[in-house]
Amino acid sequence: MSDAEAPESSTSADPPAVDPPGRRELLAAVLSFLLGAVPATIGGLFFLDPILRRSKAGGSGGGDQTMDGFVKLDITPENLVEEGSPVASTVIADLDDAWNRFKDVPIGSLWLRRQQGGEVVAFNSICPHLGCSINFRRGENDFHCPCHASSFDLDGGTTNDTPPRDMDSLEIIVATDGRPDPNGTELWVKYQNFRRGTPEKKPI
Amino acid sequence: MKALIDWFDHRTGFKELMHEALYERVPGGARWRYVWGSTLVFTFTLQVITGFMLWSAYSPSTRTAWESVYHIQHELTLGYMVRGVHHFAAQAMVVLMAIHLVQVVIDGAYKAPRELNFWLGLVLLQIVLGLSLTGYLLPWDQKGYYATQVTTNIMSATPLVGDQVQTLAQGGTEYGHLTLTRFFAMHAGILPTLLVAFLALHIYVFRRHGLTVHDENHAPETTFWPDQVLKDAVACLIVLAVVMLLAIFKGAELSAPADPSVKFDAARPEWYFLFLFRFLHFEVINKMGVTFGAIIVPGIIMGVITMMPLIHKFLGEFGHTLNKAFIWILGAGIVVLTTMAIIEDREDDTHQAALAEAHRDGARAGELAAGPDRIPVDGAVELLRRDPFTQGPRLFAKHCAACHRYNGHDGRGTMVVDEAGIAAPTAADLGNFGSRDWMRSVVVDYANHFSWQKNATWFKDAQQAEASGEDVTYLNPDESEMADWADADSLNSADNAENLTALVEFLYAEAALGYKPLDDDERDAFSNPLAADAALVDTGRAVATEGAWTGDLEGSSCVDCHTTLGEDFVALSDDDADGYPTLAKYGSAVWLKDFIRSPGAARHYGEKNQMPAYSPQQLRDHELDLLVRWMTHDYLPSEVHDYENRLTELSGSLGTSAGAGSTAANAVEQ
Repeated sequence: MSDAEAPESSTSADPPAVDPPGRRELLAAVLSFLLGAVPATIGGLFFLDPILRRSKAGGSGGGDQTMDGFVKLDITPENLVEEGSPVASTVIADLDDAWNRFKDVPIGSLWLRRQQGGEVVAFNSICPHLGCSINFRRGENDFHCPCHASSFDLDGGTTNDTPPRDMDSLEIIVATDGRPDPNGTELWVKYQNFRRGTPEKKPI
Repeated sequence: MKALIDWFDHRTGFKELMHEALYERVPGGARWRYVWGSTLVFTFTLQVITGFMLWSAYSPSTRTAWESVYHIQHELTLGYMVRGVHHFAAQAMVVLMAIHLVQVVIDGAYKAPRELNFWLGLVLLQIVLGLSLTGYLLPWDQKGYYATQVTTNIMSATPLVGDQVQTLAQGGTEYGHLTLTRFFAMHAGILPTLLVAFLALHIYVFRRHGLTVHDENHAPETTFWPDQVLKDAVACLIVLAVVMLLAIFKGAELSAPADPSVKFDAARPEWYFLFLFRFLHFEVINKMGVTFGAIIVPGIIMGVITMMPLIHKFLGEFGHTLNKAFIWILGAGIVVLTTMAIIEDREDDTHQAALAEAHRDGARAGELAAGPDRIPVDGAVELLRRDPFTQGPRLFAKHCAACHRYNGHDGRGTMVVDEAGIAAPTAADLGNFGSRDWMRSVVVDYANHFSWQKNATWFKDAQQAEASGEDVTYLNPDESEMADWADADSLNSADNAENLTALVEFLYAEAALGYKPLDDDERDAFSNPLAADAALVDTGRAVATEGAWTGDLEGSSCVDCHTTLGEDFVALSDDDADGYPTLAKYGSAVWLKDFIRSPGAARHYGEKNQMPAYSPQQLRDHELDLLVRWMTHDYLPSEVHDYENRLTELSGSLGTSAGAGSTAANAVEQ
């Protein structure tokens, strides 16, 4: 495009300010540059929207409400046997996608397990390696990803070198009628996805 | 005519242009080895034509992409051909490009003064790979969705800017409408435009330096037209024929609509990226991090290829030998890794099961989309979510397969295993639940029919307790009243054979298996292939409720114990129950739902029950509905290849010691 070289030619000519042809050259160069730059900037910013929008959204920090961002699961604590096999659960919530809001649709899935002592832990079923879905292998009694063979123990810890980090644990709250209560019968989870392929667990 | 041509030439100079285009020198004569560039240009043209046609019918959004591709593939005139050609020509392009590249390296066509053209070619290579990547996602099926997820996640491993690159490519932090619109803009707009621009430069520079002649003395010099064009045309025709044959006989696959909540264990990249996929499998590579294996190593390889002209410049002919060695080693590595990936997948039972399920889901989605209700506005993904045939097996595997089996497997075609290998079922195999075989087996072979449960810990404990003199109430198939009754010789006598068949037919009719369309018109038009024989049912009813047997059994009817048999199902309270399992509408959806919710009620197994009750918290109402409708075959009938029956495999693997249920297995095998 000529606009890239146009400013150069004007500077190389760089005549005295009084010289009318020089002024015309400069003007022509500036105008040509603008004719290219303005549409390119508009188009470029439009294209960058996903990044710009994200930094905007990131600015507004979440409130202090305990249950903010948590989703109630169908499964209840008594469905989980202490030190038993992990149980898969689907997270149902509203999903905003560009111009649509999908009401009560599955937005992801997680693995739940009640550990020794009764504490319930939840893991995102997305593999931290490259984002495939982690399965529970009954035969091996471990978690395993069928894509690149990442494997994890039942506490989510890595058992081979494929995954860059442990399974992504999710915050989980036991509650009654939507209020935290250690003896409650509801499980609420803060469903989040994390960046894949990195050693650090970073929400996306 | 000549005047007209001259007039046009005067204004455009096209004659000179044509002459330049067609009469390029070909020293050493036209040769087959020069056809590859032309086949690539041809294949690209093919992609432009089929691509524009697909564009005219494609709609990029998460609720219309799969749907419109389905419409193209199955409903539009020659849609399967246009999509098939586009699909296979894309793969042909990758293959042809690899051949082209290898040949350029071997013939030294990258050497000065053609290095710039070599680099232009490498840019074209990247653009074509970009086109395949973006195109793979557009059908928005499970296969493309999950494979592309891996690729965009690899992008995010790019040092410094990975996160931003991924967000930009996806149009947000997660996949959605904008991922499709952006991928489509790249695939159909930006990348093809770049490709045309770089291709023009590539050909222009190629013409400027001429052909890299392999052997000048091979044959007398000729010109591009007609000798080389003839060879090129034949080669292009072969490409076209191969691609069309693949489109007709293999067809472009469309797997189930993408569903982020449904795991897809069969995710694999397109075959030409399998080597990279396999490379990322090496634990030692992963130890170095995703960035290393998926970005740095491929980057270095591309870097070395890019450096080839310089390697030759500085090292001379030795450099050329090095370059050739590199491209051969690289090629061999790709072949070895690809073969490894294919062989390993073929031998991996879990992968094969996942693949089978992917095919089942894909075919079923097509079946439902072509069904009486077509595709709802909320998308084909909802068709599958509401389909008992698709969801039933998954719910069974999740909730029931710890104890029960379905034709020997977990409902989804996989054997249930524990640490010791294939696990023994501890409850009935429900693969033929409610069928004539099931009913007959319950009546005449009760003890054996329910013998799987003898593997259960509760059964063994109860027997032990009983042996030590305790008074235990438990369900022992061998010592139940039903087994005693079924032992009667008269039941199996020839005189009662017809009565027994009629009784079975009656019981079978009570289960009312088969599709029950909700739509009135559809219901009127539907003829249920699973319907019972009405005349036989009447006879059977008399046998069941009045004891219309011959011989010793005469007067001994089922309702003597199971008082509600033949009536509509009512969830009797514990006080009203007769003390025997309720057989009112036994095996039907209404009976099953009540049983699954409360198997321990007096109307079912009472205190002998061992099955956990499934509350709505564990199994939501709509899930129960899907599960029960699957078990009673209440879904749009399917021609899709279902999971294999693995009962014989199960009985075989458990050996003679666990002989329980073997007759049941035989009964199912018929």
